[in-house]
Amino acid sequence: MEDQIVRITSRLVTPFIQVYGIYVILHGHLSPGGGFSGGAIFGASLVLVALSFNLEAGVKQISHQTASILESGGALGYLLTGMAAIIIGGNYLANRSAGFPLGQAGELFSGGAILIITVFVGIKVASTIVTLFYNIIEGEE
Amino acid sequence: MIYILVIFIVIVTLFLRFIIGVDPKTLFTFYLLGLIIFLFSFTVAEMPPFGNPDNPTFNEVPRRYLESGVAETGAVNIVSSVIIDYRAFDTLGEATVLFVAIAAVVATLKSH
Repeated sequence: MEDQIVRITSRLVTPFIQVYGIYVILHGHLSPGGGFSGGAIFGASLVLVALSFNLEAGVKQISHQTASILESGGALGYLLTGMAAIIIGGNYLANRSAGFPLGQAGELFSGGAILIITVFVGIKVASTIVTLFYNIIEGEE
Repeated sequence: MIYILVIFIVIVTLFLRFIIGVDPKTLFTFYLLGLIIFLFSFTVAEMPPFGNPDNPTFNEVPRRYLESGVAETGAVNIVSSVIIDYRAFDTLGEATVLFVAIAAVVATLKSH
């Protein structure tokens, strides 16, 4: 579909959606939101590019290889954060009892393992949505 | 009252079956769904009111989260501290469900 209005609007709106998605992911322990919702917002912006331009423009932004690496890397990072808690000394996926620095409550870098896990979950959900969309679109060929 | 209701349902059934000509299977499904909605509405009416401090869900578990959640996890957002710190293993299972779902989609839809 070749529509000038949709193209220019999505080109203007996409950076703001992506910044908002990153904001929701990084402030998951401070405000409503978190890894799942922020990742969904970020993935929706990539889907918007592929819908308003064409599939090649979307694949140019984030290729299949990159998407699958980010997907697996997000899940692996979650698991390794849990394993790191064991190595430091504590239970699996423990936060304060394993010795993660909690910081001042209310600041951006606080909460110890919560921020790390939220970022990994956000990466994973965003790449999941993109991979799902690409595969469903290409499945008709 | 109940007689009026029964007579009304019978008249509506006969009207739908013979005047409009609805399929008997469709009628049966229609009434079964109506019965299910009727029974479920009783369940909803029996639920405790929302936000009442005497509710059975307001026990020592949410009290512990609300009182010492910030000190124990360092996160101001209590929901985030529950799903990623107290219930982190549950969230790991949730991420695994997502991973398996996307693996199944790629395995079935990947165009070769």
